[in-house]
Amino acid sequence: MREVIPAPLPGLDLRRHYGHHQSPAIRAGGLIFCSGMLPIDPQTGERRHGTLTSEAHIVLGNLKLLLESAGSSLDRLVQVHALIYDSIEYDVLNRVYRQYVANGPPARTVWTAQIEAGFKIELDAIAAA
Amino acid sequence: MSARREVISAAGGVTNAADGGSPPASPAVRGGDFIFVSGLTAVDRQSGERVPGTTASETRLILGNLKQVLQAAGSSLDQVVKVNVLLHSMLEAPNMNEVYVGFFPDPPPARTVCGARLPDGVKVIIECTALVCRI
Amino acid sequence: MTEKLQRTAITPKNPLLNASRAGNLPHVPGIRVGDYIFLSGMVPVDPQTGERSHGPIAEQVRMTLSNMRHMLESAGSSLDRVVRVHAVLADIAHMAEMDRVYREFFPSEAPARTAWSMQLRFGNGCEIECVALAN
Repeated sequence: MREVIPAPLPGLDLRRHYGHHQSPAIRAGGLIFCSGMLPIDPQTGERRHGTLTSEAHIVLGNLKLLLESAGSSLDRLVQVHALIYDSIEYDVLNRVYRQYVANGPPARTVWTAQIEAGFKIELDAIAAA
Repeated sequence: MSARREVISAAGGVTNAADGGSPPASPAVRGGDFIFVSGLTAVDRQSGERVPGTTASETRLILGNLKQVLQAAGSSLDQVVKVNVLLHSMLEAPNMNEVYVGFFPDPPPARTVCGARLPDGVKVIIECTALVCRI
Repeated sequence: MTEKLQRTAITPKNPLLNASRAGNLPHVPGIRVGDYIFLSGMVPVDPQTGERSHGPIAEQVRMTLSNMRHMLESAGSSLDRVVRVHAVLADIAHMAEMDRVYREFFPSEAPARTAWSMQLRFGNGCEIECVALAN
């Protein structure tokens, strides 16, 4: 059975704001598959470009909101792909990231990739429901 | 009891293997509740030959093939839970999305799209995870 | 209502392959949840010394996949339970060489795979991540 997790706040509905044909997350088989989470304002959907640090805080805050709205949490993450625009920011990523996954971090692979809208970070996550 | 693992072999002639040997990747593997589909590139369903084109045309061919693979695996596009799209350039994301919209019915799966260096000059690779349909 | 799945961290029997612990990094080598094991991306680290390999790509891929085998076996799984692989190369031109070595580890009924190239850290030639069935 496949259930849509709706956007917990209007800004996180990327389909409405940007025409991205995706649901915020899907729950299935005891797992929650999240769409790539971006540094956008969760209320307004506006892009919040900044430093990797500022963007990472927004992304992780958004992911926390989304997972908690679905009855899960950052503590229940199982796998993350951390997309960063340049691997030089690896330590900066970690400095922020570890603040959010202190209680038993998940498996993670860092992808240095081209991210939409020139963002510096995007998190692609799977959590236990 | 451990979950069963089954390979979905080149069903309906869909194959990305250039040689005659065992392919380095099965089109899809079923294990537990899910079907894990390989990153698909634009190939002709019958011949397995690459069909280079625009990002839009490659996306269309890939998603048509994906539909076949999922059917062979006992699933369907509406059972897909998560899609990862790799593009040779994020400038092409809207072109990909325009075609993508036509394949995934509401409510669409979760998705992540990013740009990376892709093999063989392909413009797009699409992989996904889908639920097994149990009747 | 179905019970919530438990998640547990996986650690390799060989501590030299536990880069996250050694480096005090915010991730674990792998997580087991339900039927699945999700591994963090693995890189060419010499299991005898813990040092990074600077050798040719074939050697790096072989080392990485051997390490992956060890990681899965430490968790009670195995390479033939792998359902999905993400194989990332620093240099897309290494794809054929990677493939050649890859087939040694997945000779038949290969998992689903997506392979592409991205910038990798520390001069690593490859980084390989997988999802496997537990048990």
